[in-house]
Amino acid sequence: MRHDIARDILATTLVLLAAVAPAAAQDEYIMRADRSAAELTDILVQPPEVQAGGAEARAAAGAVDAVIRADLDYSGLFRLLTRDQVAGKTPGHYRIDGVLEGLPTGGATSPALTLRLLSEPGGQVLLSKRYQPGPDRLRATAHHFVEQVIRMLTDLPGISLTRIVFARGSGDRRDIWCVDYDGEGLLRLTANRTLNLFPSWSPDNKQIAFMSFRQGQQGTYMLEAATGAVRLVGETSGSNLGPSWHPGGQELVVALSKAGQPDIYRLGLEGRVIRRLTVSESIEVSPSWSPGGRDLVFTSDRTGTPQLYVMDGDGTGRRRLTFEGKYNDSAEWSPRGDRIVYACREQEITQLMLIESSGENRRLLTDASWRNCEDPSWAPDGRHVVFASDRTGVFKLYVLDVEDGSIRQLTKGGEPDTTPDWSQ
Amino acid sequence: MVRTLALIGMLLAALLMTVGCGGKKNVPVVDNTAAVVTTAPVEEVVEETPVAETQAPVKNYATMSPQEYGIEDVYFAYDEYTLGAAAMATLTADAKIMKEHGDVVYLIEGHCDERGTVEYNLALGEKRAAAVRDYLANLGVKSGQLRVTSYGEERPFVAGSTEASWAKNRRAHFARP
Repeated sequence: MRHDIARDILATTLVLLAAVAPAAAQDEYIMRADRSAAELTDILVQPPEVQAGGAEARAAAGAVDAVIRADLDYSGLFRLLTRDQVAGKTPGHYRIDGVLEGLPTGGATSPALTLRLLSEPGGQVLLSKRYQPGPDRLRATAHHFVEQVIRMLTDLPGISLTRIVFARGSGDRRDIWCVDYDGEGLLRLTANRTLNLFPSWSPDNKQIAFMSFRQGQQGTYMLEAATGAVRLVGETSGSNLGPSWHPGGQELVVALSKAGQPDIYRLGLEGRVIRRLTVSESIEVSPSWSPGGRDLVFTSDRTGTPQLYVMDGDGTGRRRLTFEGKYNDSAEWSPRGDRIVYACREQEITQLMLIESSGENRRLLTDASWRNCEDPSWAPDGRHVVFASDRTGVFKLYVLDVEDGSIRQLTKGGEPDTTPDWSQ
Repeated sequence: MVRTLALIGMLLAALLMTVGCGGKKNVPVVDNTAAVVTTAPVEEVVEETPVAETQAPVKNYATMSPQEYGIEDVYFAYDEYTLGAAAMATLTADAKIMKEHGDVVYLIEGHCDERGTVEYNLALGEKRAAAVRDYLANLGVKSGQLRVTSYGEERPFVAGSTEASWAKNRRAHFARP
């Protein structure tokens, strides 16, 4: 279902984009790891064979081929082979090929596109998918096929059908925007001339919770991805900060200051307080559930500086997670459950940090040449992290491969982009 | 010379404030007076009192910007939400004006400099606004006159990444609600 997120409201936009979108750009890498020696799966990608439809159909097949290659490369799991390498010395590898029966027109009579995954040598077909994409669905079709390939070969979720929501704008005006994981399909979701921040995807990718000043003060709102409809979840006096979802999808966790200062509350989707989790005179913000829904990591400045803590889902069993650094915030629990990414401010620069959920093995993920790196959010593969950095002087979004250090630029343009959240 | 006198006066005022408020609850404790004095603009204190007294009383204060009749913003140290001596002196003057216009409602906006994370700064801004509200309430301003909100680092007053810019952006600003 992942590919259906917000696609309905996008349909017309995508038609326009598909017509002009170039093949996925390799130059989006800012830093690229040397993957020649890494433990990678070898794969040869061949463009779909075109049976009819002339140059236009060949261009369509080329576009599908380019997206498949870019997706496999982005995943960080594959080494893309050339024909020469295959003819020479690589004994075992996978191969992707396909057939495009004619120029895609859309509708029930549209020529079919078949894509296959084979294991070589031997040519055993592992996966074969038949699609009838319209001209506006070629990219989505390629993304869908790569997701099936990655799930089959790794038994783990891929990210090629995912999207990222974020806040774009400056001053009094920040809107919620959405972009495909590869930077295509950019779409604005709100336009209300006020501050909208901290968008957060529901676990089923159908709703986006966010904070907005749209009624003059902070409130928690919900946006239906399919229709763009927005409703108020809850508005209490003072802060209504950073909604994020319980993994079960039936409740939010937010920081509300109705008792005087920001404390963490579990909130029903209709705004009812299910449970208050923290009670203190200090600032408690930025909660994130563990993927199993048992614990939360959050920020508290009870010691005088913001530090990360973990507590049980009922607010008990609080223990401090970070002891190094004077400013630790914006934690998000990895979907694999074993580690936590957060923002650590030291020597006037905010950097991304990785720590095991036990509190051990703290590791710096970025370096000072990147200036400030903030608001990390995990992709469902537990490998990629999207974050905001002002390395160019203005905050834009970037994607880090935590395993090999590769960094790609996700959003472009002159307006600041902040507080991203990666879909499931 | 004038500047030195002003500074001495300000320190004296701060001392009096600290002593005078020692017995009350909910008054933020000054534990970093020296640091705050050096970062707060001296001028903030110099022109504190006469403004309200010289304003013509016929104006409709509810529709005016609070700064037009002498209400002044207060400033904070980095990552701090306790009030320094200069801020307390400013708020003492502000409270006097506010009590003279007991039907006017003020929105206290907490602001932060650009350093730090978006979410934490929104929380920090709220703590700053709340500290100001509590201090004014202790000075006798009606609680119904005071509302708080936070814009964190989202609405800086001045651009720039220097300490001078940051210091101006770490403030509690008085606005009309």
